[in-house]
Amino acid sequence: MLGYIASRAFRALVTILLVLTFAFFILNATGDPAILILSADAPPEAIAAFREEWGLNAPLWKQYLGYLWNLAHGELGRSMRDGRDAWAVVSERIPVTLAITIPALIIKLVIGISAGIIAALWRDTWIDRLVMAFSVTGYTVPSFVLGLGLMLVFAVQLGWLPAAGADSWRHAILPIVTLGVAGAAVLARFTRSAMLEVLGQPFIRTGLAKGLVWRAVVIGHAFPNAAIPTLTIAGFMIGSLVAGAVVVESVFAWPGVGRLLVSAVGNRDLMVVQAILLLVTVTMVSANLIVDIVYGFVDPRLRTARGGLARGGT
Amino acid sequence: MPLRIPELARRLVVALPIIAGFAAPLSAQPADTRPVITIAVQQIVTSGALEPLREQSNVGARIFDSIFENLIEVDKTGDLSLKPGLAESYRRIDPQTIEFTLRRGVKFHDGREMTAEDVVFTFGRERMWGTGEANPQTSGQPTATLFAQGAQGATSVPREAVAIAGRLLPAFGSMEAVGPYTVRYTNRVADLTLEGRLTRNGTEIISRAGFQAAENWGAWARRPVGTGPYRVKEFRPDNILVLEAHDDYWGGRPPIRELRFVVVPEIATRVNGLLSGQFDFITDVPPDQFRAIERSARHDVIGGAILNHRLLVFDKNHPRLQDPRIRRALTHAIDRNLIVEALFQGKTSVPAGLQWEYYGPMFHSDWTVPAFDPALARRLLQEAGYRGEVIPYRVASGYYTNQVPTAQALQQMWQAVGLNVQLQMVENWQQIFDRSNPQNPRAIRDWSNSAPFNDPVSSIVNQHCERGQQQQAGEWTNADFNGLCTVLETSTNADERRSTFRRMMEIIEREDPGYTVLHRSVLFFGKRKDIEWKPSPTQAMDFRASNFRIVPATR
Repeated sequence: MLGYIASRAFRALVTILLVLTFAFFILNATGDPAILILSADAPPEAIAAFREEWGLNAPLWKQYLGYLWNLAHGELGRSMRDGRDAWAVVSERIPVTLAITIPALIIKLVIGISAGIIAALWRDTWIDRLVMAFSVTGYTVPSFVLGLGLMLVFAVQLGWLPAAGADSWRHAILPIVTLGVAGAAVLARFTRSAMLEVLGQPFIRTGLAKGLVWRAVVIGHAFPNAAIPTLTIAGFMIGSLVAGAVVVESVFAWPGVGRLLVSAVGNRDLMVVQAILLLVTVTMVSANLIVDIVYGFVDPRLRTARGGLARGGT
Repeated sequence: MPLRIPELARRLVVALPIIAGFAAPLSAQPADTRPVITIAVQQIVTSGALEPLREQSNVGARIFDSIFENLIEVDKTGDLSLKPGLAESYRRIDPQTIEFTLRRGVKFHDGREMTAEDVVFTFGRERMWGTGEANPQTSGQPTATLFAQGAQGATSVPREAVAIAGRLLPAFGSMEAVGPYTVRYTNRVADLTLEGRLTRNGTEIISRAGFQAAENWGAWARRPVGTGPYRVKEFRPDNILVLEAHDDYWGGRPPIRELRFVVVPEIATRVNGLLSGQFDFITDVPPDQFRAIERSARHDVIGGAILNHRLLVFDKNHPRLQDPRIRRALTHAIDRNLIVEALFQGKTSVPAGLQWEYYGPMFHSDWTVPAFDPALARRLLQEAGYRGEVIPYRVASGYYTNQVPTAQALQQMWQAVGLNVQLQMVENWQQIFDRSNPQNPRAIRDWSNSAPFNDPVSSIVNQHCERGQQQQAGEWTNADFNGLCTVLETSTNADERRSTFRRMMEIIEREDPGYTVLHRSVLFFGKRKDIEWKPSPTQAMDFRASNFRIVPATR
């Protein structure tokens, strides 16, 4: 088990390093922080001074090695915009993002999985068609369109909710619903497919033939077997809790990590971008690792096949 | 700093109830019935700092007027003439020196009274010229060190701020106290534009005590102390700036209890927030959103031309643009009035070249941009032997209002006279300036120029002479033009300066085009109709009692 975790941790480290390296060079190659932060209206000598002050005139490889050296010492660098510690800039946004992504995740899980199961159990009925119609709609409508539509109805027309910002819990409702609806639609489709596949398996017929009641077959045999693909999707959703709301945060002016990422990339505030990417990759890799471990508990076959700890399909 | 998960957990615990709305709203002063006004903006500042010496962008200019004031002010919502600001009067001692008599009873946001000491400090080494290195402007003066460390802008006056100061006051000599309420500004050379220069963002008077009390420069730049009608209460970059009324303001009690500048990047969200009543003002409204706002009985759109012109800039190093006739053809192929009518609904106009009426005696009212003359453009191309070679035009989508539609219209106008201009969409300014690929040389780009003070030095010299961005970027140069730059900057003969300016425009706008002016830039606001408020061409948003009043809505 320890060997397995060590192997996964090593792969995770390589993944993180690759992501950070790729982002470092791409961002450096495509934008000059001095111009983007000070604005194109700043005098050329101010832009030159900024470059010098932040070491941007050094060769890229030297900057990269310096970054890695600092990272190895737990230093994520400073924001070039306001000189603050990059991690401090990022970490103050994390709770703000989680305030919408966690409730949205609950909505996704509760509504998405329930709707998927209901659609599967009532396959080819009007219930199934209704659920899938909503699911396809939620899945295909881009979140910025859905968000603006909700804003138009509930903020502009009805005046029930604020349109944007993050001043109170009421401001969080529309972003949560926007995030939750799209995610629930995805989960509903996956859950339905997984349930239908399991319900068609011979062991379900066997269970029924042995005299088990339908409810017992569904709860005892169908649900656990259908849980694996659903868990995979849920794992991705958990992994994207921290930075999976970029579009929705932009539409609703919700000042979370996603909005910070957009502005930091736009300004080439490199250390802030790198800190966010580090956070996102660590979160995503950790979520995958946890899901892998959970697979083993959910599916005894995987547990026994791996000698006590299973590796999942991600 | 190492990752601190316990710290994160603590923040989460603290922040969640606040975000969830469990925290009780802050109780207002019962007697204070002044409104809280929310303004949704695209961005508060680009540099993350509320210090004008670092923040030189257009967006920063609109908030600084509420926080800071200068010795000399521009009549921002009037005729743009100069008027006494924190100085109740000022007079020229000689062509290099101005003496200011300070207003008495002016209180900073920290409650202290402004004196000559603060004014001297504002223009001193600690605040303006940096303390770590010898300053060419003030060499010989003793150095002082305000902040202990000097790491990367966090704890020392950043070098770019010093560089900006050098650009604002290139021949700064000294600012000396003559008495407790009298100061004398001395330039190293004669300069007729000094009064105008001292109205610029970056020359605002700050509190010496406030600056020195700050933990470091970054902390100062996030919560500066000025004399303006509103003081900084809360600032979270990219998110919100809350200003509260400075009730000791010398110019009268501010009419607004709290001014909230909220960052809402999406224009659709800003419009929806305005229509829903959440926002009282929204900024940067493009013409295609006017109808959506004007359909509401409770809202209107105001604004118009600002002290900024949209330009196209030419790179004369491009193989085909080396011949000025091709650049001239580019300028004559543009139907500027059509762009103004079709894309800006006639809400702007074509100016008289790179100049503004508020230049006063330096303004040439009879000057015009190159005439729309397709026949002349074709003839110039024929004379230059142009054979349809590709001329690239780099466009960064969305930086200017209607930028892409304007570029597409231009491309069609050029095509109509036989110019093969190819639009290249890029992401940012670095990609516009990029010269790394010799197969894809620069040729045409978008730009805009402002007139930050009332003299052509502020525009044509600042942006197009040798120290200006265009020549620094290596796009264009002209020896005759550069010689005239010096005359315009240093001559004290008004007639000579006026004729020099005209000759400079002749060279750079007609004979050897370095740029061509398209139209006046515009800035529109959506706002509550029951608020009487006037925008300023300077882009500053003035929320003093003289420019803000809530009246019953009229239908």
